[in-house]
Amino acid sequence: MPDAGGTDHLFHTDMNDEKKQYFHALQILADNCTGCTACVKVCPTEAIRVRDRKASIDPNRCIDCGNCVSICQFHAIIPRSDSLETLNKFKYRVAIISSSYFGQFTEDISYAVAKQALLELGFDEAAEEAMVTDFMIKIIRDYIRANRDKRPILSSNCPAVVRLIQVKYPALLPNLFHLEAPMSILTRYLREKIREEKQLNEDEIGIFLIVPCVAHVTAVHQPEGVYKHLQDGAFSIGMIYGKVRELIKKVQNNPVEIDTYPKGLTWALSGVQAELVDCEDIRALSVNGIENVMDILSRVEDHYLDQYDYIVLRSCTNGCVGGCLNVENPFVAMSRIQKMIKEGEEQIIDIHNLEELYHDGEFAVAPLTARPIMELDKDIKTAIKKMKKINEFLTMLPGLNCSACGSPTCYALAEDIVLGKATIDDCLVLLKRHSKEED
Amino acid sequence: MAEYWNVSPGFEDAITRYFTDVPEAEVTLESAIPEKDFNSAGRGSAEVKNLLKRLGVDNDILRRVAVAAYEAEINVAAHSIGGKMTSHIYDDMIHIKFEDRGPGIADIDQAMIPGFSTADELVREFGFGAGLGLPNILRNADALHIVSAKNCPTLVELIIYFTPI
Repeated sequence: MPDAGGTDHLFHTDMNDEKKQYFHALQILADNCTGCTACVKVCPTEAIRVRDRKASIDPNRCIDCGNCVSICQFHAIIPRSDSLETLNKFKYRVAIISSSYFGQFTEDISYAVAKQALLELGFDEAAEEAMVTDFMIKIIRDYIRANRDKRPILSSNCPAVVRLIQVKYPALLPNLFHLEAPMSILTRYLREKIREEKQLNEDEIGIFLIVPCVAHVTAVHQPEGVYKHLQDGAFSIGMIYGKVRELIKKVQNNPVEIDTYPKGLTWALSGVQAELVDCEDIRALSVNGIENVMDILSRVEDHYLDQYDYIVLRSCTNGCVGGCLNVENPFVAMSRIQKMIKEGEEQIIDIHNLEELYHDGEFAVAPLTARPIMELDKDIKTAIKKMKKINEFLTMLPGLNCSACGSPTCYALAEDIVLGKATIDDCLVLLKRHSKEED
Repeated sequence: MAEYWNVSPGFEDAITRYFTDVPEAEVTLESAIPEKDFNSAGRGSAEVKNLLKRLGVDNDILRRVAVAAYEAEINVAAHSIGGKMTSHIYDDMIHIKFEDRGPGIADIDQAMIPGFSTADELVREFGFGAGLGLPNILRNADALHIVSAKNCPTLVELIIYFTPI
C-alpha cells in the first residue's frame, strides 16, 4: 500500500491527456524502476515484462488488479488518479464514497465525521454506496430470478474481475450481472436529481468517486458497457487520506448533523454481500483474492459450480476493504466496518425514485465484449505450429521460473521468443551455463 | 481382460481410421497421477484445458474436454494405486489416455451405471465417490474405450473432436 504522505505529488497526472485504446490507471516511473521483476511475478494475467532493466505493461492484458502497485518496493508503479484541481471545473461537486472508506480511520473517528471531512475537502454534497445496498440486493435477486438459464450469475461490481473475465474467461461474459454497480446507479440518480433541484446544466455538475483501488479509477475513465456519461473523475482513498486526516481534526470540534447509512456498509465486504443475497431460492457464494477468483472461474466454466445462483467475486482480500489504494489493513478495516454495521441504526431510505429509474431500464449495461489474450492464433493449425515451437524452446530453458529474464516463467519466455518479443539470450541461467562451458 | 467401447453416432469411421493409422500427435502432454493425492489431482486436466485455450478451441468443446479429463484423472487418483495421463493433441481432436497400475475394475458395465461407486471412506471424505465419474466421461466424449479386469491395470482412453463431424 502506498504511504499517504510524501507521495502526494506523484498522483497529480492529468489523465485526460491520453486516451489510448485501453486506458489503465497505472503508470511506470522508469527512473524509479530497478528491473527487480517483483511485479512480473505477481501479475495474474502475465501482463508485465522487464526488458532492458525496466518494467512495461501490456495494456491489452492488464486488468488493473493493483497487485503490482502493492508489491513494488521502489514506488515505480504508481496509481494515477485525478487531481483535486479538477473540482474547480464544476459549479456543483458531488462525492460518491466507496463503503471501504469508512474502515480506514481509528475507532474514535465516527462515520459522520469521516463523511463531513470529505465535504470540507471541496464537495457540495456527499453520497455513499452504502445508501443503495438494500436496493442493490433487491435488483440482484430480481436479476437472478429472471435469468435462471444463466447459472450462476457473477457479480460485476469489481472492475478487475470484469476485465479478468473479458481477457481470460470470455465464455462467462453472459453470466455477468448486467446492471450498473451501486456507485454508478447513484451517479445517474443524483445527476438527474441535482439538475432538477438546483436548476443546473449537466456540465456544471461534477460527480466524483472516492475509490479504494486502481480498477475503479480505470473504470471511471474507461467504463465497460455503459450507455451514458457517468462520472467526471475518481480520487483514491490513499491520495486524499493525508488531507482528510487534517480536516477530520478540524471537524471533530465542529460536528454537524449528517445522515449516515451504517447498515449498508456491507457492500465493502464480499462475504456479507453474498449472505444478504442468499435466501430460500438463491444460493450465493463469496470469493475474494484474485487467485481464488481465477480458480473459481475456471470451475464455473466447466459447470462444476452450477449449484450456485450467485457468486460474489472480488479481486482483493475480503472485498473492497482490501483495495490497494486503501490505507488500513484489510482485516482491521473489515473489523471496523463490521462494528459500525452492528452498532449502527437502521436508516429508512426512500428508494421510490431509484425504482422508477430501474423500471425504465436506466441501469442496464450493454453486453461486454471479449478481449481474449490466451489464443496463440485465430487459425488452429498456425496455433499448433507456434505451440510446437514454444515447446521446443521450453525444453532448452532451465525450468527454474526465476523471472530473471523479465518474463514471469520459462513458459512465458518461450512464448515471448516465439512471438518475437524476446530471444533465448534473455535467459541469464543459460548464458551463465554457456560462459562456464567456454572457460 | 474385459473391454468396453462407446463411440457416438457419426464418429465410427473417424475413430476406426484413427486407431488403425495411429498418427503422430502434434503436441503431447504427460503427467503423473499419484494415488489418493487430491491436492494435485486435477492438475493434468487443468494443463490440457489451458493448452486448448491457447489453441483457440471452441468454449463448449473446451468444457467437455475439461470435464471428461478431470473426472478420469480423479478416478485414477481415487481408485488406483497411481498412474499417468497422456494427452495427444491434433489440429482437429484430442486423444487422452489414462493408464494406472491397478487394482482394476471388476465389472465395467456396472461401473458405467450412474450412482454406482466402490469409493472408500477416504475418497468420500474428499467429496468424491458419487458414482458419476465414468457416466460423466461417457456423456462428454465422442469415443470412450476402457480395458480392465480385477487385479489388473486399467486403461481409459477418450477422444473429443474440435469440430462436429
